[in-house]
Amino acid sequence: MRGSKGHPGRSRLWFAALALAATALIAAGCGGDDDDSGDSSEPMTVGLSLPLTGEFSQPGKAAKQGYEVWAETVNEEGGLLGRQVELEIKDDGSDQNTVVADYNALIQKDDVDLLLGTFSSLLNLPASAAAERNRMLYVEPAGGAPEIFERDFQYGPFFTQQATADHQGDLFAEWVLALPANERPKTVAYAVLDDPFTVPVVDALRATFDEAGIENVYDETYPVSTSNFDSIANSIKSENPDMVINGSQFEDGIGFRRSLTKVGFEPKIFFQTNAPSFGEQYSDGVGVENTEGTFFAISHTPDADTPGNAEFVDKFEQKFGEPPAEDAADAYAAGQVLQAAVEGVGSIDDQLALADWLRENSVETILGPLEWEDTGAPIGEFLIGQWQNGTAEIVLPEDAATSDEIIAVRPQAE
Amino acid sequence: MSTVERIGLDRRLWRWVIALAAVLLIAYPLLSDDLFYQNMIILSLVLAVGAVGLNIIMGYAGYISLGQSAFIGLGAYTVGIATTRIGGDPFVWVPVAGLVAAAFAALLGVIAMRTRGFAFVIITIAALFILQIVAINWDSLTQGTSGITLPLPRWDISIQNWPFYYTLVALLGASLLLSWWIRRTKIGTGLLAIREDEDKAATIGIDTPVYKIIGFMASAVFLGMAGGVYGYYIAFIDPTAMFDIVISVQIILAVILGGRGTLWGPVLGAATIEPLNELANQQFGGGNSRLLIFGGLLTLTILLLPKGIIPSVRDLLERRTKRGRAALVGGRLGERRALNGRPATATGGTGRDLLEVKGLHKHFEGVRALDGCSFAVEEGTITGLIGPNGSGKTTAFNLIGGTMRADAGEVSFDGRRIDRLSPWRRAYAGLGRTFQITRVFTDMTVLENVVAPLRSFSWRQLRAGAVSGEEASRAEELLAFAGMAEYRDERAEALSFGQRKLVELAQVLMLDPKLILLDEPAGGINPTLIARIAEMIRELNAQGKTFLIVEHNMPLVLGLCEPVLVLASGECICTGTPDEIQRDPQVLDAYLGADFQLEEPVAAP
Amino acid sequence: MTEFIQATAFGLLIGGVYALFASGLTLIFGVMKVINIAHGALLILAAFLAFTLWDQFGLDPLASIVITAPAMFVLGWALYVTAIGPLRSAPLSSTVLLTFGLALVFEAVMGLIWGNNSRAARPSYFDQSFDLSGIILPKAQVYAAIVAVLVLALLWLFLNRTWTGRAIRAASANMQGAALVGVNIARVSALTFAVGLATVGAAGSMVSVLYPFLPGSHYIWIARVLSIIVLGGLGSLQGAVLGAMLLGLAEVYTQTYISTEWATAVPYVLIFVVLFFRPQGLMGTRLREDVAV
Repeated sequence: MRGSKGHPGRSRLWFAALALAATALIAAGCGGDDDDSGDSSEPMTVGLSLPLTGEFSQPGKAAKQGYEVWAETVNEEGGLLGRQVELEIKDDGSDQNTVVADYNALIQKDDVDLLLGTFSSLLNLPASAAAERNRMLYVEPAGGAPEIFERDFQYGPFFTQQATADHQGDLFAEWVLALPANERPKTVAYAVLDDPFTVPVVDALRATFDEAGIENVYDETYPVSTSNFDSIANSIKSENPDMVINGSQFEDGIGFRRSLTKVGFEPKIFFQTNAPSFGEQYSDGVGVENTEGTFFAISHTPDADTPGNAEFVDKFEQKFGEPPAEDAADAYAAGQVLQAAVEGVGSIDDQLALADWLRENSVETILGPLEWEDTGAPIGEFLIGQWQNGTAEIVLPEDAATSDEIIAVRPQAE
Repeated sequence: MSTVERIGLDRRLWRWVIALAAVLLIAYPLLSDDLFYQNMIILSLVLAVGAVGLNIIMGYAGYISLGQSAFIGLGAYTVGIATTRIGGDPFVWVPVAGLVAAAFAALLGVIAMRTRGFAFVIITIAALFILQIVAINWDSLTQGTSGITLPLPRWDISIQNWPFYYTLVALLGASLLLSWWIRRTKIGTGLLAIREDEDKAATIGIDTPVYKIIGFMASAVFLGMAGGVYGYYIAFIDPTAMFDIVISVQIILAVILGGRGTLWGPVLGAATIEPLNELANQQFGGGNSRLLIFGGLLTLTILLLPKGIIPSVRDLLERRTKRGRAALVGGRLGERRALNGRPATATGGTGRDLLEVKGLHKHFEGVRALDGCSFAVEEGTITGLIGPNGSGKTTAFNLIGGTMRADAGEVSFDGRRIDRLSPWRRAYAGLGRTFQITRVFTDMTVLENVVAPLRSFSWRQLRAGAVSGEEASRAEELLAFAGMAEYRDERAEALSFGQRKLVELAQVLMLDPKLILLDEPAGGINPTLIARIAEMIRELNAQGKTFLIVEHNMPLVLGLCEPVLVLASGECICTGTPDEIQRDPQVLDAYLGADFQLEEPVAAP
Repeated sequence: MTEFIQATAFGLLIGGVYALFASGLTLIFGVMKVINIAHGALLILAAFLAFTLWDQFGLDPLASIVITAPAMFVLGWALYVTAIGPLRSAPLSSTVLLTFGLALVFEAVMGLIWGNNSRAARPSYFDQSFDLSGIILPKAQVYAAIVAVLVLALLWLFLNRTWTGRAIRAASANMQGAALVGVNIARVSALTFAVGLATVGAAGSMVSVLYPFLPGSHYIWIARVLSIIVLGGLGSLQGAVLGAMLLGLAEVYTQTYISTEWATAVPYVLIFVVLFFRPQGLMGTRLREDVAV
């Protein structure tokens, strides 16, 4: 044996162990929060996470743009309660585990004053739970699945669009049922993406149409990973329905539409969620000539005659060089709602008071007036759009319409 | 300083480090209320439980599973479904989650039983994705993509996350205990044997499918529970997040990085990976950088540090301490102890045939290795089996031992047909064999090598200690008999060819076999060792063991064996005493040659 | 009946592309005993390359094979020299994990370079179809299938009619034996890997026009490729082609007759069924039994 003085390896190990222990203790000690006294010269930090990468990166980036424009607008007008708004944005990569960690970090580590929501029902579901646990108001622009509002939360979540998913197709369904007998569809096919948002929209439509006696000749739900829609389109073609309803997000909507063209089938009435609301990206993706007559539900258009909308669109175009996508506008509206609550209550200390204020008041936004049930689900009417002559027009409700006519039977179907 | 003493010192130091880390871990939530770091530790704990579990099937048994996150998902969904449909506190359902995970592992194990290596990996990947798809589509049970929302915890806000935290700490402790216990029992040696040489393991009584299933279930049970806790913690359970292959990759990375096969390596790995995860999310914007970091880390670890941190550090330290010292294994043969126990009976046969081989046929793509071979081995004899190369001797051994199936023919042992039995069942029946090129488990110590064999499948045997206890003492006795007692704690890798032969023989003896097949025991070793082995054979034979020996060393055969069987061109052409064999014209023609002259038989001392 | 014929037509057309994709992997396994899990990510990488060539220079994706295949060949050689080669003698488990790690790295790099939005090349014929008395054959699919057959034929010729091809087949059958007769194993291995990746390059060009893709799409391709090699048996080119066709048909039939929801489960279910009942696949080479000695 070499002697108990120990050889270099061992003493190094001791030192490492002690260093590790010391570091851990120091880290633990420093882990505590700093007290935030709400000093008015300090910026008002608003924390949020968005899917800037991953599956939802496209709408995620649009939402980020909308938030940024809102923050700028607020700051130009003097800030929130006299404090300049600073956005603290994290990327959750369209992943739920990450979004929870993000909001925990924002609340605990970064100690933000206020929160804004993320994009998609899938991500807003766990994120809102994190906010609730930490007793902070949660206002979100893009999570319309009904289950989000069925959990008896107190601090939200407040959805800043006009209606939850299950009501977004209401006006369209009404219009279909009001058609004269010779134009009314007798048969319908449903192709739905398996997603917490698209499923409720189509479920509601299906229920209405079933009751009205429109025959369901094809009804399939396809998984997210589906990239080849040819056989689905082919099966639909063999049933030859009058109307086709496609509950889609974006990629799948484009793929589905293209497959219809490939197999050479043109339904008389075609309703698609989400994808057609993406403007040029949609028409580029499916081919402009294929867009004619396609119905979709949307919460906002740049031409809408709502308070502050024209200014918002101008500012957006100046900053980003293109008109705002729907998700950007929704995000802007979320900012407006948050602002209204904060200014309405006059302070940010009692987040529950902010939530209660929203329950009792309606807010004027670029989407129109928004108001909510106690659960945070919005009470309002969603817009219905239709592509006409290469442009996405609003057709319903009439007082918001940008086009007078509604194409009842698509020209290609004849 | 002997290896044992040095290990003892390092162990004490190591224990202090671990104790300190454990105290810090337990004390942390009491010292700080920072939810962010608590969250990070909670995620690390889940990962650590996963890694410690994976280590059992991957580190010990060598079977890689890329589907471990399936158990997290199963656990989370069990708790979610049970809580929302049946009611009760989610924590009550956590043990059920573990059972569900273990049951699924058993099911998967049964399906994957016939597969090896890469096929197993593929099955685990497929299982993970199928579960995800089932979770998505079976929405009447799981609510599909909408997911299951769990109610928020009702306990006092000042307790924060403590219930989650401490439950996970307890689960980590339990899984470490399980891993440690497995490693030091015969289950562990069996799993290691499977990793090293699965076919050899089968011949020493290790029921490989059952062992693998046990290992897989052990890897799943605590992870399922951790998954249940995690699901409650996140409060939202959905298919994509709960059956995520990237988490599986992180678990594997934790094991590899920390050091597979070690007890604490996986914990160290998990403790490194989760902070990296957070770093990627917070500093570099998540998403792609996360993939880059983990993909890159996995690639680099496999290329540059394949053993992992702890084993590499250990090797480094070992090299330092052992520098300049002669290896123990280079020394002379040690003293041999006589076998105590049963009294010596008269040598010679009892008249009864212990092994009977009838009409064995075996061909390999046109080459007929055995062509209607028939012979019998009388109980109590030392029977020799000789013949030219290619006559089918080793093939015959393979068919008798069970590592190959015959195309036609029968093998009967101790009165029963055994040709349909798996190799381990033949071992339980009392058949043992050694190999021409020795097969020992190089990563285990000599003692562990000899403890590994299973005499019969019983729970008692399985949970017997591998380094202490009854089985271990028995193994030590056998090692002493072989003269290898000094080497008990050396790694088998370091042994010379001859030493390995002795260890292999001790292994076979551990089975307490009735018949021992020796494949060229004298090949490639020095005369002193040959003589010793002959001595050992005689001693064992005197205690009632039957031998069938394949050999080319004629002096040894003719001096030791009676009768002698001669194989040529796939059939047995002659049997008889050594004298008769030497003179038989057929034998001379086929093998010995007309001018064969025996120099000096190796006689009994 | 029309629906069945139509579905079969779709399945076979897709199967052709799958076959090309799987041929590279089975070739690589045959010689190097490496299961290249990164094959899917490399396919998507090739698709991105083809897409960029189309997007920036207007080059037809199918024609871009003349660029993507050689580019992937070079990448394959480079990958072999840096990462795969050193692990030639390592256990299978290591290479599986290594290539998985590489797949993630590629996914990340693609995301960083091209972003995570979905892309698809849309040449003029992308939405047109041939109409064969009521059976719709999308033009893009038909062209892709034709090219796939051509490339596979070229591959077959290469393997069976050239000396290099023979060397590859020898190394695949018995590496030590091949070394003994003078085959330079290291070079042949690198070449095989590079050729395997070249076929992926060709397949990638096709994928760019057939399906929308994003960096994360490689998982479904991993599933497909694993299913194909399990079905067809490792190391057999004919088996890979057969397995690919079967997979294509199975997917389309499931989508048409059972449910679209379960169509994505098809590759995995096939894996389970085959590995349970016939572990060596449909045409896989049986390992010699005496290897166990």
